[in-house]
Amino acid sequence: MNEVTNNEKLLLKALAGLYYVDDPEVGLNIVDLGLIYEINFDEDKKLMKVIMTLTTQFCPMGDEITQNTMGSLTEDFPEWDIDLEMTFDPPWDQSKISPEGIEFLTQ
Amino acid sequence: MAVSSLSGLQETTSYKVVLPFYATGALSLVIGTIYLLFHTHIFFEHNFHPHTLALTHIMALGWGTMLIFGASYQLLPVLIEGKLSSDFLGYLTYIFTLLGVPVLVYGFYTFKTGLPLQIGAVLVNIGVLCYLFNVFESAVESERRDVHAWYIVTAALWLFTTTFFGLLLVFNFTKSILPDNSVSYLALHAHLGLIGWFLMLVIGVGSRLIPMFLISKYKNNTILWIIYALVNMSLISFILIKTLHLPANFDYLSIALALSGIVLFAYHCWAAYKVRIRKAVDEQMKISLTAVGQMLLPIVTLLVILAILPVGKDNHIVILYGFCIFFGWITALIFGMTFKTLPFIVFKKVYNRKKHKGRPPIPKDLFNDKVFNSMAISYLSGFVITVIGIILLNEIILKIGVFALMLSAILYALNIGIIFTHKPKEA
Repeated sequence: MNEVTNNEKLLLKALAGLYYVDDPEVGLNIVDLGLIYEINFDEDKKLMKVIMTLTTQFCPMGDEITQNTMGSLTEDFPEWDIDLEMTFDPPWDQSKISPEGIEFLTQ
Repeated sequence: MAVSSLSGLQETTSYKVVLPFYATGALSLVIGTIYLLFHTHIFFEHNFHPHTLALTHIMALGWGTMLIFGASYQLLPVLIEGKLSSDFLGYLTYIFTLLGVPVLVYGFYTFKTGLPLQIGAVLVNIGVLCYLFNVFESAVESERRDVHAWYIVTAALWLFTTTFFGLLLVFNFTKSILPDNSVSYLALHAHLGLIGWFLMLVIGVGSRLIPMFLISKYKNNTILWIIYALVNMSLISFILIKTLHLPANFDYLSIALALSGIVLFAYHCWAAYKVRIRKAVDEQMKISLTAVGQMLLPIVTLLVILAILPVGKDNHIVILYGFCIFFGWITALIFGMTFKTLPFIVFKKVYNRKKHKGRPPIPKDLFNDKVFNSMAISYLSGFVITVIGIILLNEIILKIGVFALMLSAILYALNIGIIFTHKPKEA
């Protein structure tokens, strides 16, 4: 993850769910793969803004990954509005994989 | 009530465009191998024999091109980082190629040089034009055009050059429109397709997908541009050598250029493999990487041909050359890459926005591993046995080898069927 902002507790709750969302081709969760760029919370408006990416812009599994991401977040935050934005700037590369992700892939 | 919104997700190619190509390609391979089993005499004949021409076009158009049309329509958005321009042109590509190939093959088999061949060739050319226009439009509409986009557009242009030249050769049978007879242009027609279409496209797609699936840190666009130049120069020099009737020794120049390109591509794949993050390499990647090694075999065969042909009657080595290409690296690469790419598009069709029961499925679950492994073993043994059979010109060894290849084709088609008919366990 590039940036950690706002409420630490809410962030940990969101990430805990997202650790169960895998990229189906790689078999690694999207957090360790480095697909989640930002998660911001506006507690007054109960609005969560998620900025994420995919390993390639026209990823054939893009639908599946975003659907599962949205599913995880709406399950953990049923009262919140969720705005999921896909960005390819900056594009994903291998440097975004976490040390835990590298360890998983090099096993 | 909570509201969810999603923005910025890019649309990929519809499965309706892609799947028919895979189904027809798989069927063509089964037909091609069964045909070969009952026509092993072609290994003993001249490469211009009608039965050899029929098989060559089953393999080149029905199998290789049909499959690559489907795969490139699926992968085009990843390669050019833009949407496929037109689904409709995709359907037209399929329909015209589907209608054209059997007519063309029938024309060659019976050697009816009139209408059947001409109609088949015209239909195939319309299909190829639809593909060329679609790829070109997609690349133009895309905001980013890197080296991979250049490969795929150039390959499509060479494909049209090949099929249009083929059309001229077909008409040249009945009415003299070229300076020489069609047989003398056979090598040129074949290499336009082999180098310009198949090799160019395979390098363009492979150089993107192999590092991507290995999650490799290796990226070197300079080497890809050098390979691009070498392969194109090899083909252009070959065209000049043949059209200007230069001495046969000049052929070595074209071979050296193509060989340099292939060796550099193999190096590119090796470099990507060495610095891969994902250490576990699956069976699909292994067979794909084997295919890269197999690319060198035809070049070795070609050098043997040039050394032997002027003095001997070793026509079967020419057949070996073609066999090492169509049943060698083209088939091996398609076998490997099909199961790395096709499951994704079917997965999306089956599971998109559907809840499923139990563990979330993954695309790899859509095909049968045991069938895949049996296919790989059958294919590799069949390939090696047939190569030995061609070198020794032994009918029994040839039958055994081709039987194993036929088995691998049936297993391939079976696994495609398993993927196509996959049903979700709904919640």
